[in-house]
Parts: sequence; C-alpha cells; structure tokens
Amino acid sequence: MSYTHRAALIGCLSGLAIIAVAPLFLDVYLTNILIRTLFVAAVVMTVDILWGYTGVLTFGQSAFFGIGAYACGLIFTHYGFGPGWALAALAVALGTAAIVAAAVGWLAFFHGSSPLYSSIITLALPIVLTQIIYSGGSFTGSSSGLSGFPTYYWDLKVWFWIAGGFLVLTTTAGWLLVRSDFGRVLIAIRENEERSAYLGIPVSRIKTMLMVFAGMVASVAGFGYAAFSNVVAPEMAGFQLGTELLIWTALGGRATLLGPVFAAIGIDTISSWLSGAMPFVWKLLTGVAFVLVIVLLPRGLAPLIGALWRKLRPKRVQKIHAIRLSPAPAGRMLHASFGDAPPLCLSQVSRRYGSLQVLRDVNLDAHGTELLGIIGPNGAGKTTLMRCISDGNERTGGAVRVNNVEIARGSPQDIVGLGVGRSFQNTNLFDTLTVGECLQLARYRIDGAKLFDRRETVSLPHPALDILKTTGLDKMLAEETRNLSHGMKRGLELAMVLATEPSVLLLDEPTAGLTRPERMAIGAVLTRLTQEFGLCIMLIEHDLDFVRAICNRVVVLHQGAILMEGTVEEVVASDLVKAAYTGLQKEAVA
Amino acid sequence: MEALALDILTTAAILFVVSTGLMIILGVMKLINFAHGAFLTTGGYIAYLVGAAGLNPWLAVPAAAVLGFLAGLVIERTIIRPLYHRPLDAILATWGLGIVIGQVFALTFGRGVQFAPSPILGTIDVFGNEYSGYRLAMLAVAIVLAVALSALLSFTRFGLNARAVIANEPLARGLGIDSANVRSITFGLGAGLACAAGALITPLLSVDPNMGLPWLVNSFMLVMISGVSFPSLLVASLLLGGSQVLVSTYISPILGGMTIVVLAALILRLKPKGFSRA
Repeated sequence: MSYTHRAALIGCLSGLAIIAVAPLFLDVYLTNILIRTLFVAAVVMTVDILWGYTGVLTFGQSAFFGIGAYACGLIFTHYGFGPGWALAALAVALGTAAIVAAAVGWLAFFHGSSPLYSSIITLALPIVLTQIIYSGGSFTGSSSGLSGFPTYYWDLKVWFWIAGGFLVLTTTAGWLLVRSDFGRVLIAIRENEERSAYLGIPVSRIKTMLMVFAGMVASVAGFGYAAFSNVVAPEMAGFQLGTELLIWTALGGRATLLGPVFAAIGIDTISSWLSGAMPFVWKLLTGVAFVLVIVLLPRGLAPLIGALWRKLRPKRVQKIHAIRLSPAPAGRMLHASFGDAPPLCLSQVSRRYGSLQVLRDVNLDAHGTELLGIIGPNGAGKTTLMRCISDGNERTGGAVRVNNVEIARGSPQDIVGLGVGRSFQNTNLFDTLTVGECLQLARYRIDGAKLFDRRETVSLPHPALDILKTTGLDKMLAEETRNLSHGMKRGLELAMVLATEPSVLLLDEPTAGLTRPERMAIGAVLTRLTQEFGLCIMLIEHDLDFVRAICNRVVVLHQGAILMEGTVEEVVASDLVKAAYTGLQKEAVA
Repeated sequence: MEALALDILTTAAILFVVSTGLMIILGVMKLINFAHGAFLTTGGYIAYLVGAAGLNPWLAVPAAAVLGFLAGLVIERTIIRPLYHRPLDAILATWGLGIVIGQVFALTFGRGVQFAPSPILGTIDVFGNEYSGYRLAMLAVAIVLAVALSALLSFTRFGLNARAVIANEPLARGLGIDSANVRSITFGLGAGLACAAGALITPLLSVDPNMGLPWLVNSFMLVMISGVSFPSLLVASLLLGGSQVLVSTYISPILGGMTIVVLAALILRLKPKGFSRA
C-alpha cells in the first residue's frame, strides 16, 4: 500500500472514530447544529475541488444541495414515504443533480469560454432555481417551503453518524482524488487551461464530469439534511448559501481540501451559536474577515496552520513521488503510413479579424518525412497559420485535412487526437508540477490517469526519451518545472509534444533563446524524427542557418499569403523574396 | 398596446441606467464589480435619507453620485488595487465588500423596507394613456446618460486615456499614461454611477439591505452580452428588457424575473462575444 493510501486510511478511520464517539459528549443543541454543518461541509469539500483545484469559481453549488433537499421534500410530501420511496427519492435527487450539472457544464464549459462566463452561469443557476421554486405554488410550497412531511424520526445520534460518516467518506474520496494522477490533471487545467487542451486533455469534458459528480455529492448532502430536519426552503438552493460555501472555502484555504472542511464546520457552528445573539454583527464580521483573507492571505488560513505544524514537528524526509521512465509500445508514430494522402493538407485557408485579413487563401501540402520551414517577416501570419491548423475554430475560410480527416470546427484536443502536436513560441509549462508529472499529463490522452492512485512510471515513445536523455532531464524528473533553465524547458516542451505521439508536429520557434550546441542537438533530433519515424514537421524559424541545416523545403509567408516555396538556396537567391522582405538578410545574421 | 411599448422602453431605460456603472468598470479595469449591487443599495438609502430629511428629492441623485465617487476612490485604493492581477479574487473581494455594506445597512436601518419620495408625482398623458411621469423621466435620463458617457469617452482627455488603457494597457503605460490613476478614477466613476442609479430607481421601488442583488445579476448579464460599448448596452437593454416585460405580462411575472438571466446565458453560449463585434 502506498504512503498516500495509508495516510488516507488512517485519516478516514480516525475521522470515523471521532464521529462515532462525539455524540456521546455533545448536548442536544450542539448535535442539532453539527448535523447540518457536517452535511454542508461535504458540499464545501466539492466547492474546493471545483474551485481550489480545478479553478472553476462556482457560486451555484448550493443549487445541487437544494435539488437533493427538494427531491426529498417533494416526494415525501406528495407521493409517499417508506424505504422504497426513500430510495426512489434518493435516485431522483442523484439523477436530477446529474442532469442539471451536465446542462450547466454544456452551457459553461465549451472550448474558448472565459472563466468569468462560467462563473456567471453558476451564479445564474441558484437564482433560476429559486425562481422556479417560488413559482411552484403549493406544490413546492413557494417561499415558505415544505415542512412536516413524514420522515425517519431516528435518534439524533443516528443522524449525526449518518452526516459525519457521509462527510468523512466523501472527503477521503476527494482527498485521494486530488492526490491522484487525475488530481494533477485538474491542477494542470487550473494553471494553464489552453496548454492542457493542446496536450489533448479534454478540458471541457473533465470539468463537466467533475461538475456532475460534485453536484451529486451536494445533492445527497441536501437530501440527507432535508430528511433529517423535516424542512425544505428555497434558501437551501439559494445564491446566499452558494456564496457562503465560497467564503468558507476561501477562509479555510483553497486547494487544501481539509482546510475548507474544517472552516465550514467551525464557522457554521459558531454562526448558528452567535446568530441568535447578534445576527447582523456576526455576518458583518465574516464579511470583513473574508475581504481581508482574499486581499492579504489569498491561500486562506490552512497554510498558516500547516506551517506552524511543520515547525513544531521534527523534520521528516519529504516524500517525493518518484516517477520512472519506460518506453511506450510502438504507436502510430512508428508506422508512418498515411496512404496516398499527405498527412497535412491545407486548402484556401483564410483568417480575418474583422476587416483585417491575416491569412489569405493558403494552399499547402506537407508530407511525411518532410521538415518544412515557414519563414517570413514579423506579422506575416506564421503563428496564425499554426493556430488555424491546431484549432478548428480559428480559420474563417478554407479547409484543413490531417491524415486525410477534415478537422472541421474541432477543438484543440480533438485535433491532437487526429495526430497534430503543437509547441508554443513562449515556453508555458505548468509551474508547480514536476517534470515527471508534466510528462504524465502529456500521456493523459493515450494512457489516461488513475482516479484514486498514482502511477510510478510514465511510458514515452522513443524520440521523447531521446530528448530527455540529451538534455539531462531524465535525471531531474522530480524537479518542479519552474526551476528549470530555459533550454531544459524547451527540451521538456518538445518531449511533452512528442509524448502525445503526433504524426504532424507544429513547432513555433523551437530554438529561440537556445545556445548553439543546444540548437544543434534539437536539430539532430528533428532530423531523426522525420527520417526514422516518418513524422511531418512544420517549423517556424527566424534562424536561416538552422533552417538551411535541417529543412527540406521552405515556404515564405508575406502579408498572409504564400510568396514562394522551394529550397533554402532558391528562396534566399530569389529577388522577389528580397524585395518583399528586406529584413531577411539581417535577421539571418542576428 | 401603447402602454406595453412604454413599459418596454422605460424598463430598458432603467436597466441601462443601472448597468452603466458596472460596464465602465469592466471595460477599463477588466474587473467584475460584485459590490455593484451594494452600491445601488447605498444610493437607495441616500434617496431615503434625503426624503426623510425633507429635502428636495432631486438632491438625492447628485448626492449619491458624489458620495459614491469618493467611496469608490477609497475602495479602489484599499481593496481593488492589490487584486489587479487576480481577477477572480477581485470578484470575491468585491462580493465580500457587498456583504459588509449590506450588513452595515441592516444594522443601521433594520431589515425592513423603506420608501423614498418621488421627485415627479402623478402621470402624464401619452397617446391617450396615463403613464407614470417618473418612469418617463427615466427614459430621458437614460438618453442623456448614454450621450454624456459616450462624449466622456470620445472627447475628453480622461476618455482618451481610458480608451488607451482598454486597448493596450502596457503600451498605454509606456506612453506615459498613469494607468493606476485612470483605474482609480474609473472605479470612482463606476461606483458613483451605481449609487446615482440606486437613488434614481428607489422612488419606483423601495429600499432594503438586499435591494441591489437582483439588479446586480441582471446588469451583469446585460454587460456580458454587450461587451464594452454603450450603444450595444442600449440594444441589449431594449431586447432583453423587452423580453422580460413581454414574459411578465403574458406568461408570469416570476418567469419574467429570470428571463434576462436565461436568455443572456443562451446568447452567450451560442455567441460567446455577445452583441459586440461579430
């Protein structure tokens, strides 16, 4: 059993033990309050996974709590009560929450949606839901809600055990989830969503699935609370509760999971105590504390407590998750058979921004085993061309075929699936992840990620392994990427793109800022990729010596159109190119 | 029929007036001000206080605008500036600020509903319909505001600087524009507009500590689909405000209350840029 699993098991068992004995020492009033709080804390836990780990700022998690509560209240009031009905109501609660969450996901998370827009959709959700409840008349009880429906009048202790057990079990699952390989994927989405998409990670689908599961957990919590308290009211689905969930998460410390859970338990319990004595002052104080924490302590209170804990405890060797490399089974990359069609085929590709035409009718075929250089002055549309190949929504006209498949309006992750790998002009990696974790991310599309566990190996295709060996990165798999040198970042970037097993490689200035030996090493790798593995590489480059050394063919872009194509010598000798592009000679020297 | 048309026009005017403060802050600072609702509430209470003091009700609007502007400057300095590079956190901080402001009002005035006197009483005859004079006045206010704000952005030094910051902030800074100053004036302006709008709408409704919230959500949606442009905000207010009036009149007022939110969410899903550009 791994260290993480052992820790989770110990945590889970001690949590359950505390829950088991706690009601023996608590008075009735406090037990009552805590039952509600424990249910709500489970919802806060889901908010932390969505917001803290994945970066989806959600105001609407209360809506799912409300859905669960109303599923219970409505069915017990209007249809029937008994073990069968209770199970049916629970199924309705889960099903409705899942459907609503999927609909919200469809609305909020499409490729290119801004985080602000997603937040607004989650904000609209509880507002719309409460309006629906208000308009439900006597069926939903309108603004006064439903109460007095039949339920199980178990002893308070039993309800406490149910609420506490639910919290401990869901939190353990959540804790394992965020520490798993899949948890790294979530962090990658938070840190750099665009880059994740270009590694073939289905960002929108992952966010939607997460929303569905988080919604279902919140719905069960709402169901449990309604069954316990015998009351449902529109406030349980409301926007106010939704923002309180966020406040607790922020105060406890986002992306710490346990921080928000304890913050919810602490603050909600104190609130219930104090709100009788001084309701407005207490809310005022939490509001002030919230603003202060956001401005001054963006990571909340948990890191402070964590630091204190580390100071008091004797130093222990930090457990680093070691990842080993292994060769991947020969994939598509090694069988460069594309039939007769060229792997990359552009016809009449155009891109305009309003009245500005950046690309005009570009026709271009690139073949397997070919290293195609794209040159041209700044603003010629080189990077735009790459963007049009790697994201189906970019071009405004024309067609792109990859391995004989029309890319249509596919999102970047779809196009990665067709076999296109793209590197970026500026190295944008995932700062807080290690080299090994970055490589695992790049393999997500092919190897998937474990939900509640970590893999110890990452299998990579041969060319990626070669690059890691040449750059010395294979010895630094546990290093966080922000500590790497520029050259190593470039190497890792290239290795990550290759790890997705592309058959068409788009490289945007892969050697910018590198030393001459580093450049030559990368050049040698690229040449080998085309010759031995049959890749088709398209390369934007300003360094003509580099282009001359490795490219079979050069395409000159000028003002968004192809000016000429041919070998480097032909292009350099061309008067046409010289005339249109006087900066060329100078840049070649520079 | 004419009454319905007037309802649509005046509703759109009110929505426009309420949303401008949010839009100007979003446009220049790329920041969603979640305290907007609380600023509206503040304006509402100023209108109530002016009425309670027996002063001329018209005084409430300039008083709210000035107070809002000053408060905005202070808030920008203390809360917004440290969060400029954390836009989602700025949402949360302004939301927290909104809670604080709401609780201060609840402590001072209680949770109950208060009323402010209307500067224009009675009705005006329009095409044979008796229609609330104050609602018609809102139409005029909206038009004046649209013209004034467009003029501010197009013809003044501040407007030029603000447009430079909207277009390319690093470049604007490189040209010697004090973008921090532009931002604090913008936030003050947005807060002042919001407070004035709160003072303007209160005679039509009433004020309570949470009065701003429904307006916050609606103006939010309008601003999101109109991008940063006053003409498209006018169009959006007219289209969505119109749909709200139609749904409330013919189907149900409760569904009318969520028309703007639902329509705007769908429009944004299909056209992520909304009405701005293609």
